[in-house]
Amino acid sequence: MNQELEILLIEDNPHDAELVIRALKKNHVVNHIVHLTDGVIALDFLFGRGKYEGRKTNIKPRLILLDLKMPKMNGLEVLQAIKDNDLTKQIPVVVLTSSKENPDIEQSYLLGANSFIVKPVDYDSFRQVITDLGMYWLVVNHPPH
Amino acid sequence: MNATEVNVFNAVLKSMRDSLISLDKDWRYVFVNDKAVRMMGKSREELIGKTFWELFPDTIGTVIESEIRRSMAAREKTSFEAYYKPYDLWLSINVFPYEDELLVYFTNITRFKRAEESLHSLLKEVSDYKHALDESSIVAITDATGIITHANDNFCKISKYTREELVGKDHRLINSGYHGKEFFHELWYTISNGHVWRGELKNRARDGSAYWVDTTIVPFLDEAGKPYQYVAIRSDITRRKQAEGELLELNRDLERRVKDRTEELEAFSYSISHDLRAPLRAINSYAKIIEEDYSNTFDNEGNRLLGIVQENARKMGTLIDDLLAFSRLGGKELRKSEVDMMALTEQVCSELVKTVVKKPAIEIRHMLPVKADKTLMGQVLVNLISNAIKYSGKKENPQIVINSERSNHYIIYSVEDNGTGFNMEYASKLFGVFQRLHSEMEFEGTGVGLAIVKRIVYKHGGSVWAESEEGNGAKFYFSLPE
Repeated sequence: MNQELEILLIEDNPHDAELVIRALKKNHVVNHIVHLTDGVIALDFLFGRGKYEGRKTNIKPRLILLDLKMPKMNGLEVLQAIKDNDLTKQIPVVVLTSSKENPDIEQSYLLGANSFIVKPVDYDSFRQVITDLGMYWLVVNHPPH
Repeated sequence: MNATEVNVFNAVLKSMRDSLISLDKDWRYVFVNDKAVRMMGKSREELIGKTFWELFPDTIGTVIESEIRRSMAAREKTSFEAYYKPYDLWLSINVFPYEDELLVYFTNITRFKRAEESLHSLLKEVSDYKHALDESSIVAITDATGIITHANDNFCKISKYTREELVGKDHRLINSGYHGKEFFHELWYTISNGHVWRGELKNRARDGSAYWVDTTIVPFLDEAGKPYQYVAIRSDITRRKQAEGELLELNRDLERRVKDRTEELEAFSYSISHDLRAPLRAINSYAKIIEEDYSNTFDNEGNRLLGIVQENARKMGTLIDDLLAFSRLGGKELRKSEVDMMALTEQVCSELVKTVVKKPAIEIRHMLPVKADKTLMGQVLVNLISNAIKYSGKKENPQIVINSERSNHYIIYSVEDNGTGFNMEYASKLFGVFQRLHSEMEFEGTGVGLAIVKRIVYKHGGSVWAESEEGNGAKFYFSLPE
């Protein structure tokens, strides 16, 4: 791994975040994960603003995992900001949600989401989905240079 | 009078179409022309010398007698019309006193009289029709250019214009501006080509208020087929239009409310699925992590209790899924097609049997095809057959019979098992949401399956019911319109 940042996880629910990180690390798919708890902070991080003033923004995550339901700035707004900016628009974004009932699926794809994942309630399935996700985007998929 | 004149005179008398007689002062016949002879049906010899009254006793007491006597006495000429009953004739009678005699001409005017009578009754009928029309309708007559030539009382009443204000104007006077140019263009095109136009018009009265009239405009055509006038017959439909408008508004309101409710329901479904699932995932997952990482440090009781947590979290997951499936049905549009119920049932059965250890004997007898939403029919069959499998699962030889038959424009499908059955006393609770007739200990379930069946079948215009004897199996029916 020549990059020290592999996944940026944007998720306000600490338990869901812990489960995601646990699942990704358990199978040694991913080691470098940054977890941020809301959209505003996440955008500050990506664009080197606010408390991340001076961060080297050329060090980009290879994958962004984005929860839709978040306080302050919801997932769709964060997604739009990422996809609107030349610096970040090539980063694959996987949107996570709790339900396939979600009316935002369409909107997410329209805004340029690369994938849309429903988090299973059952932990075995959940772990499997997250592992597959990490495998696919970080190992199987070939990003642009 | 010379000889030639006498001859001419005689020729005239002979050939004239009127009957002519001459009476002396004693009412005796002095002269009778040929026509009179023929009319009276007697020979000239029989007539001459007899009195008028002898030969025509029926004239006594009639206008004929009184007029002739008056003319004779006063020596004045007279003309009158009289009906002579014995001959069933109408006569025009002209009486001229001439020297001592009286000349009487009879002209048969029966045909004219009859024509006049029928014309009279025809005119009366026409005037009666007009009266009836005036009583019932709003009537206007215009000339070929659309200028009002006649307006009846009803027209004046509804338009609040006087007849004088209406006559001489055209209908632009009462145009409300509601209908476009195209509308009136079409109207004029129709009637000016000699066709009747029918439609509903919104007009404006003198005081600015609007009224609606159901209108029929009939062109009256001349011999060349060109309209020379138009008769517009209208009736007031303002109240009906208002009611229609109110109904429309009510419908719109209802649609809005249904839409609002559907949206609320969707939001509610989303909220349930999202907000209840997230904590449930945490319970599930952390329990699983505890199980994986710490079960060896727990004693048996600790592991049993953890198992209960996991089991209940799993049930809650099922419950949320079922509830969602149920509430989703509400707003779902039916996508109907011809469904091969036989094939669908076979497919559902083979899928369901895979999941159970104790395989029941399933007999699919005869499943008639039906026009329905295939996915939803699959759901109905899954729910009913899985119930049958579940509730017969404790029997030694679980048996299920699936069948259908036609009855009165419906197809009745049935799923029968030889399982536990239920007490018919509680049959009414079977199809309610979260209603269960068995404890969780006996048979696992959320109590949503049959509610879903009911909702789907109702949406198709059918009904559901069940029969059972406790301990001796149950038979569930659903009917669908053919």
